[in-house]
Amino acid sequence: MLRFLAARIAMLVAALATAALVIFLVLEILPGDPAAAMLGVSATPETIAALRAELGLDQPAARRFLRWLAGLVTGDLGLSYAYRVPVGGLIGERFGVTLPLAVLAMLLAAGIGIPLGVAAASRANTRLDAVLMGVSQLGLAIPNFWFGLLFVLIFSIGLGWFPSGGFPGWSAGPGPALHALILPALALALPMAAVLARITRSAVIEALGEDYILTARAKGLSRAEALVRHALRNALIPVVTILGLQFSFLLTGTVVVEGVFALPGLGRLLIQAIGGHDLMLIRSLVLMFAGAAMAVNALVDIAYGLLDPRMRPA
Amino acid sequence: MMRALRHPSFLVGAVLSALIVALALVSLVWTPADPGRMNILARLRPPSAEFWLGTDQFGRDIASMLMVGARNALTVGLVAVGIGLVLGLALGLLAARADGTILDAAIMRLLDFVFAFPIVLSAILIVTLLGPGLVEAVVAIGLFNVPVFARLARGAALQVMRRDYIRAARLAGAGPARILLRHVVPNIAGLMIVQASVQFAVAILAEASLSYLGLGTQPPAPSWGRMLSDAQTFMARQPFLAIFPGAAIALAVLAFNLLGDGLRDLLDPRLRERGA
Repeated sequence: MLRFLAARIAMLVAALATAALVIFLVLEILPGDPAAAMLGVSATPETIAALRAELGLDQPAARRFLRWLAGLVTGDLGLSYAYRVPVGGLIGERFGVTLPLAVLAMLLAAGIGIPLGVAAASRANTRLDAVLMGVSQLGLAIPNFWFGLLFVLIFSIGLGWFPSGGFPGWSAGPGPALHALILPALALALPMAAVLARITRSAVIEALGEDYILTARAKGLSRAEALVRHALRNALIPVVTILGLQFSFLLTGTVVVEGVFALPGLGRLLIQAIGGHDLMLIRSLVLMFAGAAMAVNALVDIAYGLLDPRMRPA
Repeated sequence: MMRALRHPSFLVGAVLSALIVALALVSLVWTPADPGRMNILARLRPPSAEFWLGTDQFGRDIASMLMVGARNALTVGLVAVGIGLVLGLALGLLAARADGTILDAAIMRLLDFVFAFPIVLSAILIVTLLGPGLVEAVVAIGLFNVPVFARLARGAALQVMRRDYIRAARLAGAGPARILLRHVVPNIAGLMIVQASVQFAVAILAEASLSYLGLGTQPPAPSWGRMLSDAQTFMARQPFLAIFPGAAIALAVLAFNLLGDGLRDLLDPRLRERGA
């Protein structure tokens, strides 16, 4: 077991290091001098040279890469070209928006998708099942940002129940902050809920056909009891896997949905960084997003290995 | 054929996809109005006999823009899936041929790595490098498709290569390239077509997201995602602006998802019960 765990973590670290190298190299081959771009056309060669030294751009690429890698551990990620403040601080500030948004979206997706999937499975091949699967098919097809726009139209502009965008911060208490996050989280959650409903349905149908369900029924459990106590429990393993895999879609979804709702989160910061050619910020943000997706995938693999020893690679 | 017509997913998917393809083709020769013509006197009009789906903030005809946008979406789907299918099939077959060797492991690890990189993020990196644009977005989406097809092709090819008739062909003197092209590829083509339909939908969705962010199709070329991003400023005054392009994206994605689901069921009846 320990060997499996160590191997999977080593794989994750190798993948993260490769990702860091790829991101660094891709951004390194970009033409142009960031220092010259920051200072504008009127800058003298001396001031450009001074800024290059301040930003560490006068050092060889290999040294800058290693410095960035070390910074990823210590939190010193360099200065943002556009904001002229430490990248670590900028990311930390925005984290307080994106992380709660992602967690809320996950909870909503699971809370909507799993019960619907169980309902469809327990009434498999009936009209209810057909309707639920039809709705989920629609949920899969609707882009999260269109959900967002529709919610703004209906609940903000039409009914005035929720703000159409912006974030009041957490200092005013959790109430206003959560109020601002509900619609974006729901927009992110619905396409995910559609996937979860479909996976849950097929996993529960498969589990319901297993012998242990027949045994449980033979021992006197009702259909509902057998469903909840035995079938659902086993069906949750593939569901959790999909939930993990969906996490990377969720993260990239935040990039788009934060734009719709003007939320000051990491996704919007990334888009602003691209607009401002802020390479220091772009590389750390892209690595963070990719790294989070890779880490969650590794966690899912590890959880799988813990639950089912057959899944561990030999 | 009759079985296909009785399959609801396939039927709905096929009809909707055919409709979108037809609209895109018709837009090559005819649209209700010139999609690029601005008319300040007819800004933000609701749907009417003159402007079927209303007009945008520049007075452009939404229906015409949506038709040309369909062409854009289908081109993105075709090229992105084409890149993924051709490269993915080649890499998958190469890995299957080299099954168990270092080459196989190297190809598969590389693809795992590409796959772990979320699609919009890789697109963002490519767009940062090359600048925003339709071609850049399509290349990014296409590259993301490569591991999907390669994994599928490798797994399916390995299964086919274990069958007796492959052994027979080998004994009869057929070389590896001939075996792959004459026997393996035709046998895994169905599976690849099903996946192509699903990835087509994924590509349309991804391009819409990128264009919404301003990283995909650039103005003045109409794109559904871009239309939604423009609509955001004016939708309080004219909600239709935000409704029609979104509905077009959803309908196109739904069409190709259903088509893929239907084809999978028709090609492999064992999967029919599971529905996921």
